[in-house]
Amino acid sequence: MPDERAAPPDYLGLARDYDPASEEFAELRELLLGAERRQLAQLQRQLEKEQSPEGLADQLPEAIALRSGRDRQLARALAPTIDDAITESVRQNPREIATAIFPVLGPAIRKALAEAMAALVESINRAVEHTFSLRGLKWRLEAWRTGTPYAQIVIKHALVYRVEQVFLIHAETGLLLVHAAPPELKVTDADLISGMLTAIQDFVGDSFQQQEGGKLRTFSVGELTVIVEPGPQAVLAAVVRGQPPESLLVKLQERLETVHFQFAAAFADFSGNAAPFAPAQAMLEECLETVLSHQRTRAARGRLAWLRWALPLVLLAAALVWVALARQRRWSDAVTRLRAEPGIEIVEAERSGGTWRFRGLKDPLAAEPAVILAGLGADTAKLDARWKPYVSLEPSLVTARARQALSAPASVNFRLSGDTLYAEGAATLAWVSRASSLPMLPPGISFLSLSAVAANLSPELAALKSQIEGSLILFDIGSAAVLPARRGTLDSVGAAILSLSAATGRLGYRTDLELLGRADTTGTEETNQNLSRARVDAVGGRLVGLGVRPEAWSGVPLGVSNPLPGRDGIDQAQANRSVAFVVRVRPEASPPEGPR
Amino acid sequence: MIQKKVCMVGVFGTGKTSLVQQFVHSIFSAKYHSTVGVKIDRKVVDIGGTSVGLVLWDLAGRDASEDIPASYLKGSHAILFVVDGTRRETFDQLASLRELGRSAAGDVPSMVALNKADLTGEWVLGAREEAALTSQGHWLRTSAKTGAGVEEAFDWIARATLGEAGGAS
Repeated sequence: MPDERAAPPDYLGLARDYDPASEEFAELRELLLGAERRQLAQLQRQLEKEQSPEGLADQLPEAIALRSGRDRQLARALAPTIDDAITESVRQNPREIATAIFPVLGPAIRKALAEAMAALVESINRAVEHTFSLRGLKWRLEAWRTGTPYAQIVIKHALVYRVEQVFLIHAETGLLLVHAAPPELKVTDADLISGMLTAIQDFVGDSFQQQEGGKLRTFSVGELTVIVEPGPQAVLAAVVRGQPPESLLVKLQERLETVHFQFAAAFADFSGNAAPFAPAQAMLEECLETVLSHQRTRAARGRLAWLRWALPLVLLAAALVWVALARQRRWSDAVTRLRAEPGIEIVEAERSGGTWRFRGLKDPLAAEPAVILAGLGADTAKLDARWKPYVSLEPSLVTARARQALSAPASVNFRLSGDTLYAEGAATLAWVSRASSLPMLPPGISFLSLSAVAANLSPELAALKSQIEGSLILFDIGSAAVLPARRGTLDSVGAAILSLSAATGRLGYRTDLELLGRADTTGTEETNQNLSRARVDAVGGRLVGLGVRPEAWSGVPLGVSNPLPGRDGIDQAQANRSVAFVVRVRPEASPPEGPR
Repeated sequence: MIQKKVCMVGVFGTGKTSLVQQFVHSIFSAKYHSTVGVKIDRKVVDIGGTSVGLVLWDLAGRDASEDIPASYLKGSHAILFVVDGTRRETFDQLASLRELGRSAAGDVPSMVALNKADLTGEWVLGAREEAALTSQGHWLRTSAKTGAGVEEAFDWIARATLGEAGGAS
């Protein structure tokens, strides 16, 4: 386009007269260039307007919309600037930023609170569930015992869980970045599980038309609960056996945040290589270490530890108590037994260490205490006993002493009644004689009764007695004269009775002889009675003649009563024409019934 | 080990699952397709001494009633489109599947497996279709039945995710 100010060539030589400001010239110019000039001016104005801020302001929104629709170049170009701008803005005026994002924060906070409340409600539900069970009662007891609020006890027990696996998953691709599991748990397909977890998350998100950010957070399969904690770059998924507590969720969140912070560069460059995330392994394994609730573990360990040393101690204590009780029982049994023993009086009894110490009185005739204690199982080597002798008036000891003093044979028994000692049984004439003549009775006995003791003759004397009583002085029919042939028999009877009398006399006994006179049945009764008396007198007289004291014999004329038996009539008649002898030995001073 | 997410996309019945069944490690049953809509398998491929773990997202085939969830494609490092060479409509839908892949995963390497290559008698794709495929990127004939082309397909995919495959689009 020609420059309007450039002068046209001076073809007509009018240059000197040319005045650009002249009216004619202006008219000419208007005629020639007017329309174009106006167009030019308009274009210039438009251009100036477009290049001014006002023009840009009008067109910028349209331009941005157009470009954003085409590709993401603009967003990429602006991102760093916007980041810087926001950073700067936050630094300079945090209050305004806070105000600005409050509408965003509000719902987020509300959401967090709602989740916390849900966890609390869950805890309360569990508590209520356990309140009326046996376990609940146990926990109540524990709360009461330890002075801890019941709710805390419930939570302590309820929150038992075990984090079995932790996955760190790349959010966009679902690829496994890090997997942590205890060595004993063989997991070979963690990468597939990780992909599937992501797919399920997507599936749930898609299926239920969740808004952005609304992700599947937790799902349970039997005893297992999978907690999925989503983050912008990665997802942390924990497989938990049992009841995961709310604290676990917080822990996972913290771990996830740390991972995002520490591995920001690795996330930015991620293209399938998980190696840069290896350092996060330890962080994930830390989550595994909370195998059980700390409190629970500690409490359990505490209880176990207590048991470890307490159980043997209790057993030992029980054994000691048992031994002590057994010893105590043996001791008290021993003391009781000794106290009950006649002739033993315990003044002092004590047990120190293993030694039993006794002080007291003991009748010499009492049982030996050491023997009694040994019979009770006591160790007599550790027995320290001193007994002072004394005389006991216990009936058993009184009789024992009497037996000793009287040298009583075993055939004599004693019975003490009051202060009278009754002797019973049988003893020799000599013993009875000695006993009755004892100058002093043992203590506790004032009287001795020997009347119940049968006095036996010594064998020699018994033989004499038998000899006498076996003799029979026979007479002729109707005669009371001692036949010469019978005198020898009568003489030996006399000698025997003299010896017997002498022997018993020495023991304080007198020997009496009864002469039993008989007659045969011929003749009258009166005749026979008289005849039997005559025969007795004849024999008695003869005995007196032999030296027997007249008062030592007595006659019993039986007549025909109490006849002796015989082989036949003649023999019986002969046997009953006789005098027989009965010997009676009785104490000299005793009443007539005497010893039997 | 480097891991890559690979999505297998195709119309219902193109044999995606059969394609991988013999060649991958799987712990999930096929019923995941009807429930979650995806089954995840693993295939480790050795590329010049480097092991690449392909995490294969075997997406349920698209049918008339149900579209493929785009969220499953998100973050893929590569996409394997599977076409049934005996059914023309599975080829026709390739364009829209490609578009789905691009919108969800961005410009990631992809290839097309023309499956059921063993059924030559029923093959309906001609030179024109193959030329069209060639113009759009890499493709291979595969047969889940004979195994032909399968290893090569995964090998190509693995290389592509590493940025080594020629002709990656």
